[in-house]
Amino acid sequence: MILSEKGWQTVFDRIKTWARVNSPWVIHFNSGSCNGCDIEILATITPRYDLERFGVKLQGSPRHADILLCTGPVTRQARERLLRVYEQMPEPKFVVAIGSCALSGGAFHDCYNTMGGVDQVIPVDAYIPGCPPRPEAIIDGVVKLLQKLQQGEKAEVGDQKPGELS
Amino acid sequence: MSTVTSIAALLLFPSGLFLLLSGLAYEWADRKLLAQFQNRVGPRWFQPLADVVKLLAKEEVAPDGVNGRLFVALPIIALAGALTAALYVPLFGLAPAFSFPGDLIVTLYLLSMLTLCMGIAGANTLDRFSLVGATRALTQLFSYEAPFLLALLGPALVAESWQISEIAAYANGRYLLLTQPIGFLVAIIGLMGKLELPPFDAPEAETEIVAGALTEYSGRGLALFRLGKGVEMVVGLTLVAAFYLGGVANPFAFLLKTLVLLLVMVVMQALMTRLRIDQTVGMWWRYGALLVLAQWLITILFHAISQVHLMG
Repeated sequence: MILSEKGWQTVFDRIKTWARVNSPWVIHFNSGSCNGCDIEILATITPRYDLERFGVKLQGSPRHADILLCTGPVTRQARERLLRVYEQMPEPKFVVAIGSCALSGGAFHDCYNTMGGVDQVIPVDAYIPGCPPRPEAIIDGVVKLLQKLQQGEKAEVGDQKPGELS
Repeated sequence: MSTVTSIAALLLFPSGLFLLLSGLAYEWADRKLLAQFQNRVGPRWFQPLADVVKLLAKEEVAPDGVNGRLFVALPIIALAGALTAALYVPLFGLAPAFSFPGDLIVTLYLLSMLTLCMGIAGANTLDRFSLVGATRALTQLFSYEAPFLLALLGPALVAESWQISEIAAYANGRYLLLTQPIGFLVAIIGLMGKLELPPFDAPEAETEIVAGALTEYSGRGLALFRLGKGVEMVVGLTLVAAFYLGGVANPFAFLLKTLVLLLVMVVMQALMTRLRIDQTVGMWWRYGALLVLAQWLITILFHAISQVHLMG
């Protein structure tokens, strides 16, 4: 039985989604955090948690990455760099904000020199609260983002409030 | 050979599609074994396939300042070089699809196409990380290429032929690993250098230069380069196994011997840390090249003595 054009499209879309969900390559960017969250991210990719099980690979180049793991409240100096890294990533791309500061500014809330959260600068797809979040929480957040991808509903810009996961 | 079977050999089996898939399978085996040595679970069996499909489905960004045509063409040329090299090699225990006297040299040059393309790809962008990566890739190419070539010419010397199928037929059942141990060592380490595996991963050292020559590549280009590397791994393992490990006469022997070689490479990857680029070059020219030349000298001397014996 030969599939219709639409049928083929669905098949291709399914294959694409399958590949995307099973091979999330991440890049890590610190937009002015205290390094607590960054240490937790590094702990997440150690052999103990072994994220290569899920296909997660830490990439050095934004051009190779699918998911931007962003920590920190985005200082005014880091804003330009964060935007640049985000724009260097090829579509489709997703952003995960990690830690209280990345969600709302955290300890730097209302500070004159910070933007007050990653979602003030670039669209964020998943929020992981915590100061800092444990590696399990980070894995949980990324897995929830992947589940969302699986269901084919990419969040619109500003669709979610900080703290909400799926 | 008729046209239909030639096209089938090119596109489906043993070259083409089947080779691409086996390249992915070997990449998985490499990553999985390495994960086991690092006390991890490691990737699932379809991981390299998912990676490549995902990359192919992604946007390809052509950055400012690159030569557009070169940027598009280089990954294709790299993959084509690796796939063409596979035609002259006894893959999966079968006779090579094509063969002519001197195809060993052609195959080795086709195998270095990938590195060369990566070097040009890195130099093609304005990105400084790519440029440093390209310089390192090409420097490394010039250091391991000659010793690797000489190491593979050792079996050619005793087989008295530069045709891969004839050398493979001669080496079948004879473990040249025992008579030419230095050559084997240089060949396997040279293969690791060729594939830019640790400890020879200075050209793509992510802690220093982001991702080396391929920093600016995304989507399709990156996927093709990765596929090319997988193919090159299969072809290189086949060559070394056929020449040094008593031949690959049937698919079972092929699988067994290439996997044993892969295991050796993985152990070395797990044991050693990255060498600086000057250490790599120094090692190859100071020890690698000299050792393999000594191996040649010994082989030639033995050969001459046995010839004299035969005549006397």
